[in-house]
Amino acid sequence: MEGGAGFLGWLEMTSLSQAMRFNLWLYPIVEIVHIVGFVTLVGAVAMFDLRVLGFAKVLPVQALGRHLLRWSLAGLVLVVPAGLMMFSAHPHEFLDNRVFQIKLILIAAAGLNALLFHAGVYRSVAGWNSDASAPALAQAQALASLAIWIAVISCGRLLAYT
Amino acid sequence: MRKLAILATLVAAPVLAHHGWSEYDDSRPLKLEGTIEDSGYVHPHGFVRLKTADKSWTVVLAPPTRMQNRGLEKDMLAPGKRAAVMGYPNRNNPEELRAERITVGEKTTELR
Repeated sequence: MEGGAGFLGWLEMTSLSQAMRFNLWLYPIVEIVHIVGFVTLVGAVAMFDLRVLGFAKVLPVQALGRHLLRWSLAGLVLVVPAGLMMFSAHPHEFLDNRVFQIKLILIAAAGLNALLFHAGVYRSVAGWNSDASAPALAQAQALASLAIWIAVISCGRLLAYT
Repeated sequence: MRKLAILATLVAAPVLAHHGWSEYDDSRPLKLEGTIEDSGYVHPHGFVRLKTADKSWTVVLAPPTRMQNRGLEKDMLAPGKRAAVMGYPNRNNPEELRAERITVGEKTTELR
């Protein structure tokens, strides 16, 4: 059940991993931090995506983006360490779990999508900053972002509370 | 309105996909009785390894916080004790059961 060879075996025997398993309140507290983190992250991302899709065109995309990007990063600072802590409790079982594997791939896809958006179509944002429709590519990426993040949350829900 | 319809579809898709996710077969309730060989009062779920007449089962219990709230203390799951459980077998792992309730001594604890 515990230990074994390699990095995962080592991780499972760390005091952090053991505290996550045996301490009565640590795991639920970390779950709450994880939830607060992804609410902030995905909430900020979703509000930005909706703006790009054409809701509230009166709000300038750039100003909104500066505001929301900051909070999505703050969410990331909570959600990633909390996620790693839960992972450390049972690393082998998580890595062997198909839902967990899909979730990691989806998170990578969401990150790549955001990176391509900022390095690509977002560079022309001055032309569609307010009272204008975003380019079709921008809207497609916003829609993909919403779909991927909802799928990530679905995977998380399938991993938890079983 | 068209945008709202697209969004509604996006939200609905994972919810529909969610249907029937359970890996435990609730059409096959099982009752097991045996001796506890090993146990863990651990997150996210406690467990006991239960030696029955024919094999050794891994019985998945509830989060330790819930078990403690309901009076199922850690020492009640100590190796060597007799226990009876009712639950559902894992569809993919014939040695794993998710317990709905566990009886140790005179005390029955609901786990869900």
